[in-house]
Amino acid sequence: MEDAKKTVLHDWHVEQGANMALFGNYDMPLWYKTGAKAEHLAVICAAGIFDTSHMAAVAVQGAGARALLQLCLSKDLQTCIGKEKTALVDGRCVYGIFLAEDGTVIDDAILYQLRPESFMVVVNAGMGGIIAAHLKKHTASRDVDIHDLTDKVGKMDIQGPLAALILGKILTHASSVFQGLPYFSFKGSFDRFGTDSAVTLVDGTPVLVSRTGYTGEFGFELFVAIDHLLPLWSRLLDAGRDQGLLACGLAARDSLRAGAVLPLSHQDIGAWPFLHNPWQFALSWNEGMTSFIKNFIGGPALLQSRWNKYTLPFAGFDPRKINAGEGSFVTRESGERLGTILTCTTDMAIGRVDGAIVSVTGNKDFQAKGLCCGFVLLDKHCAPGEKVVLTDGKRKIIVEIRADVRPNRTARRPMDKMLG
Amino acid sequence: MKELSELIFNENLRYTEEHEWVTGNGATLKVGISDYAQDQLGDIVFVELPEVGATFGKGDQFGTLESVKAVSEIYLPVGGEIVAVNEALGDAPELINQDPYGNWIVEIKPADASELTQLLTVDAYRQLLRG
Repeated sequence: MEDAKKTVLHDWHVEQGANMALFGNYDMPLWYKTGAKAEHLAVICAAGIFDTSHMAAVAVQGAGARALLQLCLSKDLQTCIGKEKTALVDGRCVYGIFLAEDGTVIDDAILYQLRPESFMVVVNAGMGGIIAAHLKKHTASRDVDIHDLTDKVGKMDIQGPLAALILGKILTHASSVFQGLPYFSFKGSFDRFGTDSAVTLVDGTPVLVSRTGYTGEFGFELFVAIDHLLPLWSRLLDAGRDQGLLACGLAARDSLRAGAVLPLSHQDIGAWPFLHNPWQFALSWNEGMTSFIKNFIGGPALLQSRWNKYTLPFAGFDPRKINAGEGSFVTRESGERLGTILTCTTDMAIGRVDGAIVSVTGNKDFQAKGLCCGFVLLDKHCAPGEKVVLTDGKRKIIVEIRADVRPNRTARRPMDKMLG
Repeated sequence: MKELSELIFNENLRYTEEHEWVTGNGATLKVGISDYAQDQLGDIVFVELPEVGATFGKGDQFGTLESVKAVSEIYLPVGGEIVAVNEALGDAPELINQDPYGNWIVEIKPADASELTQLLTVDAYRQLLRG
């Protein structure tokens, strides 16, 4: 553990008695004394805060920045915003994939357009240097400055239906900040990075407020200069104490994102072609999904790929899991081998009623026992509703292939509904 | 994670290296998991229990504990026949987290009660955790 990296909140996590574990080479909290179940439910019913400062950011600036990102990110920057398919502009961000030339995944990312010639790419822990090098490799003669900001960005998330009400208490002019802040947009700035709009905490600290997250629930990712992260974290905890806000660890983050059918990079997507999975919206397909509407690194390889495996979400019928990993596999009920388990966790906010999945959201009195859920990588396509067997060679559990898992997610709800 | 000084130990129990505890008079024994084990596992969300009447040898897996983190096998510290299982854990598996020594998992009729004396005393178990 000597080599493990620490975020600036590490001492706080340890002082709170968190169960710590290595993730992406950082010593991170799995859960605090409240436990992962309470933390997962806090994000569904109230709000939770997450230390996400282990994630890396890369600054991409200059006259050629947009063209370079258009070449390297899977999503088309000219048509990626909203139902109207408009171009990425200042104050908007987009989810996409950085592919290698062979169509396999280097990492997934959120790309922020700060200004027309200034972008920030947020990637997973440990990936800042790799993505910066990848971008430099493809820069060619473009006028672009690329800086790996690993461990230099103070990032945390607040997620859950009360996130705006709690965050609003510590923002100056909160109501105007939240006005016109749709899903996947942001305002403000931190350090040298940001938009022309100023957003500050009540103590004057500049903050970038992004209406994004990775739980499937309503909320924000917050960026401040690294020295301001601990004060922001503490201030938010105080602001939300009476409303059920909890500090949440990586276990809750994992179970929330799995229930929201979001992939964990290098586990659910990785060193295999980015095809036949639930996240094809991250590519720039044409309408018939026969070709791409732009040229990007990895695109030609995907079009020619003979990849014949399928990444599919599943949900079980009770909380029972099979540990993913070596020795575990997927079969049909007849015993025929189908593939492997990528993620298997328990979404503690859902259960089954007459076979249908019901969430605590919108059903206040529902006593959820939790359902196992995650992703499998199969040799054959299975349609939603088909049942398959997960096994570690000894125990077997039957799960159902799903199009979606946790119902009634709040991530896209209009802001005014969440401030009401 | 609880520090050693925060962990609860029950002086009257015998323990195993797999962090189970055993108590009883020799005629029947009750088996559960230690405070250290429940703290390491995190929230327990499901307990898979054996059938009453099933027999297992010492060290055999007799069930599983599902925590948010993983699935963990539980092993019988003393061989014998399952005479009762704690049905309350079916509806409320979190009882193990709340009171690991008050909530036993299975009750067994030991095939050889002398196996009990081979298990760790509380001092030996404390020493094991101290490392």
